[in-house]
Amino acid sequence: MIPSDHFTRFYNEVFKFLESQGEDQLQAYFLAISKNQEKHILELIETKGLEGMEEYWTHIKIEENCDMDIDRNEDRLELRMNVCPSLSKVMDNDAEPMGRYCDHCAGWIGPIFDKTGYHLVYDVIDRKKPQCVMRVFKDAAKAKEAEKDVKLLMGWPGHKV
Amino acid sequence: MSEHLRYAEGGEVHLDFHGATNTTIDFIISRYGVEAMDAIFKKVGKDVYRSIHDDLVAGDTGQLVRHWRHFFSRENCDYDIEVGADEIVLTVRHCTAWHHVAKLVGTPSRHFCDQTTRTNEALAEGSPYAIDTEITGPGACRQVIRRRA
Repeated sequence: MIPSDHFTRFYNEVFKFLESQGEDQLQAYFLAISKNQEKHILELIETKGLEGMEEYWTHIKIEENCDMDIDRNEDRLELRMNVCPSLSKVMDNDAEPMGRYCDHCAGWIGPIFDKTGYHLVYDVIDRKKPQCVMRVFKDAAKAKEAEKDVKLLMGWPGHKV
Repeated sequence: MSEHLRYAEGGEVHLDFHGATNTTIDFIISRYGVEAMDAIFKKVGKDVYRSIHDDLVAGDTGQLVRHWRHFFSRENCDYDIEVGADEIVLTVRHCTAWHHVAKLVGTPSRHFCDQTTRTNEALAEGSPYAIDTEITGPGACRQVIRRRA
């Protein structure tokens, strides 16, 4: 058993392999993981919207031991990751980190927001620092406006930036 | 024998990661074949768990046994470990990972337990030991460390 604690380091090895096979293969994998994740979050978004997202990430914050602030108002949800446990483990690793490890996060959640009619603005800030800011808007124009303040805007399958 | 435990973790556990592992195994095998998946597990055994691999190569099984105890306890598995003169046997009666995936998707990938078998083989590669993994039932196995003949 690869412990659930070490999934991220296994994930990192998978990313390195897929990157060597081509960008389209990595994107296809993000979509496969996105489909897998639907069972955990899709119904919450479809039935409760931003409140459902807050419920999901509140649970994740606890189970994944995240140092993260969650803020929701009627227009958007904001997740401010102060210390990301996923990238932290990949960096504290006896194997080489994949340079674009952070891309997977928008890679799986972006397609789910596309499917549910929400608008994602994902600021990775710096791929070598375990921190990021994710904002999800109801309104496309507000999301577009928020993109202006982003340091490193992340895309996802079907949504290049 | 060292008391080192390089990969210890604390806090909560997120068992849904096992579901993503299951999805990953099926994805890689369907596109690239089982050899590609085995090659990734080999990197997990030799690179990700380099400290345990290096200890085994140096003839020290202590860290692997502590690693097993730490993580099988963290994931609340039903297991025991017998350390004998000639072999060390980990008996897993209820693997939390396998059963969690079964709860999520019905039937785990038929290659789900390759993560254990292949990673064990890679951990032991080039060492005086072999680690054999026998799947004894759904979510159950026996993992044995023995000196190579």
